[in-house]
Amino acid sequence: MAQTETGKETAREIPKMKPRPIVLLGIFLISHCFLVSVVCCTAGVLALLLLPVLAKNTYISENALMPGSASSMLSNHDISEANRLAKDLSGLNLGLEDTGIESRRILARYLSDLGAEVSYHKFLSQQNHLHPLHFFSSPDGLMRENFSCSSYGVNTVGIIRAPRGDGKEAIVFVTPYNFGKSDLSETLSLSIAYSVFSLLTQVTWLAKDIIWLIADSQYGEYDSVAAWLRDYHTPSFTGLVSSNVDACVVGNNLEISNDNSVVQGKISDGFRRAGTMAAALVLKVTDGNEQWDDTLGIYAEASNGQMPNLDLINIVNYLAVHRQGLRVKVQKFWSLLDLKWLEFLGKTFELLGKLARSLNPDWKFGIPASDYIEGTATLASSLYFQALGIPTGPHGAFRDFQVDAITLEISPKVSSSSKAKLNEFVLRGGRLIEGVIRSVNNLLEKFHQSFFLYLLTSPSKFVSVGVYMIAFALLVAPLPLVAASLYADANKLDFGMKFDKSTPVATASSERDITFRSWKWLSAAKEVFVIHMWGVVVLLLPYLISQIPDLSPTASFVSWVLLSMLSLLILYLILGSPFSHSHASLKGDWAMLKSATISAVFIGLLLMSVVNFATAEIGALLMVPLCLMAQPLKLDIRAASLRSFFRVSCTLILGFIAFPPVAFFTSKAVFEGPDSINLGDFWNWMESLRAWNSATYVYIGMVHLPCWMLCIHILFHSC
Amino acid sequence: METKEENEQLNKTRGGFWTWVMASVIFRLILIYFPQNLNLSSRPEVSTPLTSLRRLAEGYWLKQASMSPYAGSMYHGSPLLLSVLGPLTVKSIEGQPDHVLCSVLFVIADIMSALLIRATGWKLQMAYKKSLEALGIINRLVTSGDIAALVYLWNPFTIVACVGLSTSPIENLFIILTLYGACTRLVPLAAFGWVMATHLSLYPAILIIPVILLLGYGPDAPPRKLFLQKGYCKTGDKNSSHVHCAQEEMINRSKEQIIFSRRPVVLFFFWATLWSIYVLVLCSISVKQYSSLWEMFQRTYGFILTVEDMSPNMGVLWYFFAEVFDFFRNFFLIVFHVNILFMVLPLAIRLNHRPCFLAFVYIAISSMLKSYPSVGDSALYLGLLVLFLDELADMQFSFFIFCGYVGISLLSPVMHNLWIWRGTGNANFYFATAIAYACLQIILVVESVGAMLNHDRKLRKLSVANLQDDES
Repeated sequence: MAQTETGKETAREIPKMKPRPIVLLGIFLISHCFLVSVVCCTAGVLALLLLPVLAKNTYISENALMPGSASSMLSNHDISEANRLAKDLSGLNLGLEDTGIESRRILARYLSDLGAEVSYHKFLSQQNHLHPLHFFSSPDGLMRENFSCSSYGVNTVGIIRAPRGDGKEAIVFVTPYNFGKSDLSETLSLSIAYSVFSLLTQVTWLAKDIIWLIADSQYGEYDSVAAWLRDYHTPSFTGLVSSNVDACVVGNNLEISNDNSVVQGKISDGFRRAGTMAAALVLKVTDGNEQWDDTLGIYAEASNGQMPNLDLINIVNYLAVHRQGLRVKVQKFWSLLDLKWLEFLGKTFELLGKLARSLNPDWKFGIPASDYIEGTATLASSLYFQALGIPTGPHGAFRDFQVDAITLEISPKVSSSSKAKLNEFVLRGGRLIEGVIRSVNNLLEKFHQSFFLYLLTSPSKFVSVGVYMIAFALLVAPLPLVAASLYADANKLDFGMKFDKSTPVATASSERDITFRSWKWLSAAKEVFVIHMWGVVVLLLPYLISQIPDLSPTASFVSWVLLSMLSLLILYLILGSPFSHSHASLKGDWAMLKSATISAVFIGLLLMSVVNFATAEIGALLMVPLCLMAQPLKLDIRAASLRSFFRVSCTLILGFIAFPPVAFFTSKAVFEGPDSINLGDFWNWMESLRAWNSATYVYIGMVHLPCWMLCIHILFHSC
Repeated sequence: METKEENEQLNKTRGGFWTWVMASVIFRLILIYFPQNLNLSSRPEVSTPLTSLRRLAEGYWLKQASMSPYAGSMYHGSPLLLSVLGPLTVKSIEGQPDHVLCSVLFVIADIMSALLIRATGWKLQMAYKKSLEALGIINRLVTSGDIAALVYLWNPFTIVACVGLSTSPIENLFIILTLYGACTRLVPLAAFGWVMATHLSLYPAILIIPVILLLGYGPDAPPRKLFLQKGYCKTGDKNSSHVHCAQEEMINRSKEQIIFSRRPVVLFFFWATLWSIYVLVLCSISVKQYSSLWEMFQRTYGFILTVEDMSPNMGVLWYFFAEVFDFFRNFFLIVFHVNILFMVLPLAIRLNHRPCFLAFVYIAISSMLKSYPSVGDSALYLGLLVLFLDELADMQFSFFIFCGYVGISLLSPVMHNLWIWRGTGNANFYFATAIAYACLQIILVVESVGAMLNHDRKLRKLSVANLQDDES
């Protein structure tokens, strides 16, 4: 009778429903979600592998930049001046403390001789710690508390006021310099910067002020630059920090007044400012390489995968390659270069490209296999360093204040000790910097024309956000579909059960359950919420563990794992374990849980793709297949077919790999060889993420780990 | 036996209710201790130009300095709020975070709102049970009042609005007070709540229609046609005397549902006039020295209606009026505000048998289309939504809407961060979440109204079946 009733009901309802085409399409997709998800996931992975092929050549998007249109004015006179400075600096032979003060004084004298304003900036080196609540607040909202006079540094700042500017804009270049003990390469970077600086004091075309920051790098390059920027942007009238520093400095006495009186007028102890920063360059010289000529390394990743405007990289790359003949490189994973399957893939793409071209010569698809492999290695490192969320150099500090900045790492060819070679090198470096500054000087507005969101596949090739988002979108597209289809199925299942149970058995309470079937997801949502809370606890645990002194990384890691498990157990005790349901759990329960989990993963990945795309992409590669395949093992074991066996093994392998520590160790073993694995490494890695305020840390704790746990729950669900 | 069990269960749930209420209070107090860390009071989603306590403190400071509190376009709230909350903003207890007294006041307001929601829920449920019995439909109802109160208290939006130093808890309190007063037929209370709510935020003015319906027809009930049908059928057959008695009673009761009683409505208007005169007198006393009532209206209602402040918020108006040409501005202002008014009448006609639900729909619509919306408004209508748990049991897309709310409320701060702090995004990013949020609210309103109408259809079917059973 019940059956006929349903029949009647549906018969009555069918003529009423006239779904629109878009609804029909949705229903179609949901009903074929298995096929759709397989196709989408495969396409997503394939699209990711295709990215190096789809990369476009970079081009200078902002017309005002006009790089290389003026001939370089840097002459040998500037170089010889710079050499004199270098000689004076390296000639100092005093004690460690005194060297610092003395070399600072020499620098200040040289700078003020050029007619620049010189000032000293004192700062305390501080450790920044992630406060999870600070994540969304402003960068300067981070308050630092513990002061110690032992570690203060002094930056030297030289400012040239532009003859044609209104003092509202500035260009910064930074040379990290360790005043305690400097080596040849650091002095070399100083002399390059000095040669440019001395030229810029004489030129007439300058429209933006020039700031040269000689960052005291004895406590790290990043900290000194970040401290300077913080003070630059937050004028403190009677600030606590500055007074603290002053109290420290008085004892050590940074005497400026000893200098002759002519100079004294130009050197000030107070903080000097110029206008807003248009761009910043960090210049470093490293020890020579043996393989190639002079090379230029570009580092651009700032915190949370933010990149400077692509135009800045473009002009540097253009000038370095076409004007100075430097060999430009960006970071890449060398270990990827000799992977066999990658070579095979590259050859396939090359073949496909040739095929396409033979069909229609206009189709410019496909690149040589070697290029493909190089591109992939660069892309992988670009993804990895963006995903880490840790700045790859002092330029990262600028990005927090919306200033575009990159680090240029120039390394001369080894055995270039001969004077002429060195001069040649300084001239090349200086001309590069001069060209970039002249280009930026032309800029009328902030950098805005070109991309901010991109991945590099080589110094002159990039993948823009519009292209790489496709790979990600394809990967996550099945998630809402599968969630919807599971949800619909679970509801239907209960609907069917209502009629399976003959009506007299159904009590009032079960009737109520049935009426509320559209709210049945609430219990699943509760479980998801609880596990996410656990994720938050796990995220906060390293906070406590790091308070314990003298704990080796391995011990910390082990205690972290143990404490996390303990907290999970406590949660189970309080809220009841999902594994030991006292009441018979309904058939649709796991489906509902899976639906809720998948929704959580979807929301989490979507959020993360906005915050830091690279993390979201890597996370999606790990999580999405697991989430889609997770199904209670009992069902598969009951089915006992080849297909279910295959599914079980796949799910187990994926579940094993997606566990964050395992994923970390696996990738480490792949890239660095299996013998480099150490349990403490993971702890160190997570600690560095935490110390650098990386959003990836939050992602791992609040999205990845809870969702992995929920998938494990689904796997061992007692249905 | 069953009733005993039921009572036990009730006691248990009541105990559970109070522990949860206490837990929510403790949770709020803990959060109040970390105001700097959370930095909620500066979030555009939490504090609007109308509800921000920082602006109120500024207005109070101006007033203390013998200036008009409305000088300099900082403060746009009521002068009464200034006199009540103003002194609390200056007073600070040693070692406690700033504005701790205000925060405590907001917590109390939240608790009172929750208790009023609970009482309203009880009242609604009793009335609904009665009317269902009159129709001969047996239905077990859940204690939606308790659930609604807890949902209101534990809704992250409510918590954020309470901790984030915005005055929306107080505005919400008066709106709920209106509904409570109207449900319990305490006409002066309803009038007071309505006048105060309108005074504080203007938009609750449209609640006058549900309040009149509530006072005239009584709380939510199934469509009145059903009672009429029932009455006709019953009078049609006269078999025995005791059935006749029952019929009489039934008809009387159903008549009670049908007849619009004018007296409380007239009383309501009387009281509303009285209260509004009272409020205006108080306001004029408060602003007399440094400004005038006219300036007050200009700076509060005028500010709301002309959308002067175009700083980003969760709504859709700021972006639009930042883009629109100046000579079209007045036209579009009218269009946007009439948008709310357009929906008032049709909804009132369609849902006139369910005035409380109508009030929910009005609040949801106005919080979607108002000029400075905040999460506090959403908290209010989400709390009220749960009052109709029984009726909306078959609501579609509930899971989707829930996920949408979670996603949007997380995405909105991230987009704001991307735009303001990182500079890699732009206003469109943030506005996209605002549009998505508005769409979500539309879906919520449409689905809930649809579910309510379906519920009415179901009731009709059941009552018709009952009638047929009786006849046969």
